[in-house]
Amino acid sequence: MNIVLKKITISDSKSPYNGLVKDVFISNGIVAKIDDNIIVEADKIVSGENQILSPGWVDIFSNFCDPGYEFKETLNSGAATALAGGYTSVFTLPNTNPVVATKSQVEYIVNANQHLPINIYPLGAITKNIEGKELAEMYDMQNSGAIAFTDGLKPVQNAELVLKALQYIKATNTTIIQMPIDATIGKHGLINEGIHSTQMGLQGIPSIGEHLMIQRDIELLRYTNSKLHITGISTAKSIEMIQQAKAEGLNITCSVTPYHLFFCEEDILNYDTNLKVNPPLRSHADMMALRNAVTDGTIDCIASHHAPQDWDNKVCEFQNASFGMIDLQTTFTALQTVLPELSNEKLTQLFSSNARIIFNLPNVIIEEGAIAELTLFSRTGNSTLTESNNLSKSFNTPFANKQLNGNIIGTINKGILSLNQTI
Amino acid sequence: MKLSTKHLLGIKDLTTEDIQLILSTATNFKDVLQRPVKKVPSLRDVTIVNLFYENSTRTRFSFELAEKRLSADTLNFAASNSSAAKGETLLDTVNNILSMKVDMVVMRHSASGAPHFLSKHIPAAIINAGDGINEHPTQALLDAFSMIEKFGSLKGLKVAIIGDIMHSRVALSNIYLLKKMGAEIMVAGPPTLIPKYITEALGVRVEYNVKNALQWCDVANVLRIQLERQNQPLFSSLREYNLAYGISRKLLESIGKEITIMHPGPINRGVELDSDVADGPSSIVLNQVENGVAVRMAVLYLLSGT
Repeated sequence: MNIVLKKITISDSKSPYNGLVKDVFISNGIVAKIDDNIIVEADKIVSGENQILSPGWVDIFSNFCDPGYEFKETLNSGAATALAGGYTSVFTLPNTNPVVATKSQVEYIVNANQHLPINIYPLGAITKNIEGKELAEMYDMQNSGAIAFTDGLKPVQNAELVLKALQYIKATNTTIIQMPIDATIGKHGLINEGIHSTQMGLQGIPSIGEHLMIQRDIELLRYTNSKLHITGISTAKSIEMIQQAKAEGLNITCSVTPYHLFFCEEDILNYDTNLKVNPPLRSHADMMALRNAVTDGTIDCIASHHAPQDWDNKVCEFQNASFGMIDLQTTFTALQTVLPELSNEKLTQLFSSNARIIFNLPNVIIEEGAIAELTLFSRTGNSTLTESNNLSKSFNTPFANKQLNGNIIGTINKGILSLNQTI
Repeated sequence: MKLSTKHLLGIKDLTTEDIQLILSTATNFKDVLQRPVKKVPSLRDVTIVNLFYENSTRTRFSFELAEKRLSADTLNFAASNSSAAKGETLLDTVNNILSMKVDMVVMRHSASGAPHFLSKHIPAAIINAGDGINEHPTQALLDAFSMIEKFGSLKGLKVAIIGDIMHSRVALSNIYLLKKMGAEIMVAGPPTLIPKYITEALGVRVEYNVKNALQWCDVANVLRIQLERQNQPLFSSLREYNLAYGISRKLLESIGKEITIMHPGPINRGVELDSDVADGPSSIVLNQVENGVAVRMAVLYLLSGT
């Protein structure tokens, strides 16, 4: 397939064309030519105002629920959702049924990936069956294609096991990913503990649980000198702790969800279960601190924490509702809405290049001869996720019918141009 | 006069005018209840379902009696011997009941916000008869009614709410109501049973010593220890709770002033209240129960739209 992108702004700090407005000719999945005005025969010519081209975006923490919970999401529907959100690569959570804790489960996803328009990288479990008791066969999973290791939605609580896992992975240069949740504090909590939870009569999840977990994992990282990524941080204090650990030279990185940047606890009006997430939405001050940390570079990546839930798990009593929201399709537009001042280069770092460095993904540089794994987006205009343009099998999102800024134009991956049909 | 709201989900949503309207209507109904014929035709042809997902004696009887005194048709539902025990969802159950042309729903549920959830999905008027650890608005209204009966007004009245504040919907509803009506509020109990942010969230004083609380207050509203709602150990034993926070005649005598004792029931005798206090002269516990019927009649009448 031959594709010409007309007059697009290239956003890739490693590219010699960074910041320039160029035509890009892509032939059979390779960037064949970059020039001012390319006139060739093409299957498809994409042109339009204010379009930006970035190395393909990577989401590092999505639940595609497949196998086991296909009524919420499948690898196919998850891939379509990701593409519409501008992603060319997605790391899938191991919290499936069966869980991804063995070579055969990794292979199930790797095999399915061959037929999908995006690159799916399975995250392998740290512990057998995600029970938090014994180490899973991480070397075997890594050899089969696991990109990094995490117990996903059930972060490892046992300190000794985290220590051993951090040591174990040093032999193969991969990364442990933890969510900052101490399951012993506020385990019956539903929203952030604070003024709001007290006024609403809902059990709280104290932020101290998050801080204890991060502090503990930083200590374990210091002891093991390994590599740790903390995803889903939600408080100003968490940022401070990670900032200090980074300044000390520890190999620690972190990511934040778009919804922790967009919403805070005050938005949970009338027991809206779509805002029931874990870590919970925290205070307004925490939300503002997270936005600052995105701008100042403390936060390395935006992680969607895409968590599809079917109708019955969300349209029910708040206490009985499952945690999480879908947001792969709205990650960029949510970010563009709350942080419109970020530079193009910064967006590329947050959505692509930082994750590629942290998790040793193939380097994508927009230059002639490079493999074309690309995201095409616009920071102007707006888009709205509705029930009819939603591609996920679930629709548990507070972003529904909300007009957000920016647009995903499309992606180019595996030689295929996927124009976003949802706008 | 009408209430500003279609449902009674919590005191939080009521205006002071709403509260005054309910209380003055309740006064009229209390007069009715003193007559030889206690029944009025106000809610004739109105059908009300009492949906109790949690056990209740007092509140369920009180609502049912209030409905019958108003000539409403009533249906009773208890989760333990109904379709809920077979796994039917709350929404399904309620929609099924409503398809039989029910006008109002009185609901008690173990999940905070359950009546709010329901109000987004069904057209009937909903009265919250207690939701999780959130609110129990009719209890707060009948407590207010009983206090006004005794003291004339809530303005400036010093009310101590003592016990398990964290798991008490009675506490939260009482705090919202007393605050709106100008009373002063103190909560007292073991620190593990008092929400950390309660002063910032609700503007109440906090006291960990029960004797200090009793010395300060005019009224002590003593709460039931909610063992069934605590999903983790928050104090060491009932014995120790009684030693540190139980209210005995001796303790009351030691503070050298008379205070009024209230309790929403059911009382754990010998835990939060000793029997000689619960049944003593300063207790208005049974007045609360009596007033409950009149207050619930007022709420049902005002929300029925008749």
